[in-house]
Amino acid sequence: MTELLKRLATLDGTSGDESAVKDFIVKEISPYCEYETDALGNIIAFKRGNKSPKKKIMLDAHMDEVGLIITSFTDDGFLRFKTIGGINTSALMFKRVKVGGSINGIISGKPIHLTSGDESKKLPKADELYIDIGAASKEEARSCVIEGDRAVMVSDFTENYDKIISKALDDRIGCAILIKLIKEYDDYDFTAVFSVQEEIGLRGARVAAFNVDPYAAIIIEGTTAADIADVPEDKSVCSLGDGAAVSFMDKATVYDREYYYAALNSGIAVQPKRAVAGGNNSGAVHLSRDGVRTIAVSVPCRYIHSSSSVADKHDIAAAYELCKYMINYIADD
Amino acid sequence: MDIKRLLKDLTAATGIGNIKEATEVAAKYLSDFCEVSYTDNLGLIAEIKGKRDYSILFEAHIDQVGFIVTDVDDKGFLTVATCGGIDLRALPSRQVNIHGSKKVRGVFCSTPPHLSEDDVTFEKISDIKIDSCLGNKACEIISVGDYVTFATDICELKGNKVSAKSLDDRAGVAVLIELASRFKDKQPPVNLIFCLSDMEELGLRGAKTSAFAAFPNEAIAIDVSFADGPDIKPTECGKMGSGAMIGISPVLDRDITNKLISLAADNNIPYQTEVMGKTTGTDADIISITKSGIRTGLVSIPLRNMHTDCEIISLSDIKSVCDLLECYAEAVNLND
Repeated sequence: MTELLKRLATLDGTSGDESAVKDFIVKEISPYCEYETDALGNIIAFKRGNKSPKKKIMLDAHMDEVGLIITSFTDDGFLRFKTIGGINTSALMFKRVKVGGSINGIISGKPIHLTSGDESKKLPKADELYIDIGAASKEEARSCVIEGDRAVMVSDFTENYDKIISKALDDRIGCAILIKLIKEYDDYDFTAVFSVQEEIGLRGARVAAFNVDPYAAIIIEGTTAADIADVPEDKSVCSLGDGAAVSFMDKATVYDREYYYAALNSGIAVQPKRAVAGGNNSGAVHLSRDGVRTIAVSVPCRYIHSSSSVADKHDIAAAYELCKYMINYIADD
Repeated sequence: MDIKRLLKDLTAATGIGNIKEATEVAAKYLSDFCEVSYTDNLGLIAEIKGKRDYSILFEAHIDQVGFIVTDVDDKGFLTVATCGGIDLRALPSRQVNIHGSKKVRGVFCSTPPHLSEDDVTFEKISDIKIDSCLGNKACEIISVGDYVTFATDICELKGNKVSAKSLDDRAGVAVLIELASRFKDKQPPVNLIFCLSDMEELGLRGAKTSAFAAFPNEAIAIDVSFADGPDIKPTECGKMGSGAMIGISPVLDRDITNKLISLAADNNIPYQTEVMGKTTGTDADIISITKSGIRTGLVSIPLRNMHTDCEIISLSDIKSVCDLLECYAEAVNLND
């Protein structure tokens, strides 16, 4: 699973530009299932199991990651950008990015030595930053990058014992779990959606859910974990190593209470998400058509939406097991 | 010499505190061209004998900015102090190498956008922790006093530029090595001494002892200085790609400075001047007041994003600096 995750996480796929991830996933799953892709680029795959559930079950993981989009150029060859998805300025400043697929760049701003007073204590706004690709003029920059090109964060994929450090763990972890389910789980039929454009408003899953028209859905996500130094326990949301996280409610969804309890009582390592924070594709899926019973199975990730998010392999394994358990639970209902 | 390869090797190596990898890498290169001798814990000296008993010291610092561990908690989070000037604003979610009993990758903690209304900034370095990602095993591998350094690799940018950590001052070290290589097959008119000083980032400490040990007739320090960018006043910086920055300051020897300027002009070597009203903030400040005083000049390489893990320099500027210093080494006794 870690090897698969590494290959997924090191692919570039900002929202609306997921084709590299899509192509990789199609190659991985095509021997195991029937699939189609829709107008937006979602992959909708049908995996036939040994039995058919009475009601249709859909699983979703999103392919896109947060990143940047190039908006304009300065006369001296620097690139201005907007963020795609929520990213803190501190996660951007002086970080390496890859622009337009292959051009190295550094997100830069006024150096601290040249700031004065309050300026040196506060972070600039994202629109005060720029990307330096080494070009010395607008013409030189525009010869290799154009407006609308994407910039993605660059980071090594590192394993530290049980922990993984990488960009894009949200939500390539979900993609990896879903691919493994397609390859290895065969108790019941299910529909797998690899969706686009989650980070800019749950857009891919909305049309995919309409198309699939499921009775119940399992959304597989990377979720924020703040079990870090100097954050009080009650604000930690969830903790690495304590298992898959399931949510009762977040900013986009009130989750199906029966499924929530079923997950907590599954006997698998599961922790409740201890906050009403964030949101995921459940927000779009549970409101599809006449409503879909929905549960989110999340893997806790520290420093999410940065180039260096951290997850625990045990939690990924627990999330995989919980997905299997929940499909069976819903199918047997 | 393949400067890109040289910079890759030099920036990949660590040079902080008791970790001397960078000095060893540089010594290996220099030993092809010079006689290398270690002075003491604070530096390395290499020499090429010239025709006359007169010596010029070319100096760059080998150390890099970083951190030192001051506390390890039972959940694997580290408190650190800085070694050198660090922009605290840019630390969250940055990856680092922790040089414990083995080298492990860690991450500066950050609060994700879902949980924080505004970005958090930090008053002091002890307010931001490093996640060693080792949990309760951290104490077995990491101890108080261990060093932590940035973790990025070098990468190439457009316009003959590269980005890496520690280009301050490995770019200067690369200049020394390239300069030495240019005298492989020709004997210089005077002795050329190459010195890599340690602990510059902690207050110009290594240059104090190495300049004492070398005690040359004159010296030129090679460091990096601020390059241009949006929001930076042109009066506050050099221009990247526009050549060697020749320092002009009350602490620098005016004859050396003038000679550097006229050599650059006469030989069509791209250069620019950097005028400072006081000390330079480089090893030149301390070299010049070593023993009974050493006439000292300063040549800098324009650099962006100083003291981050993605500093940027132009290879054409490195070439300009090497060309200028080669001319200087050859011209030193013309006026005598």
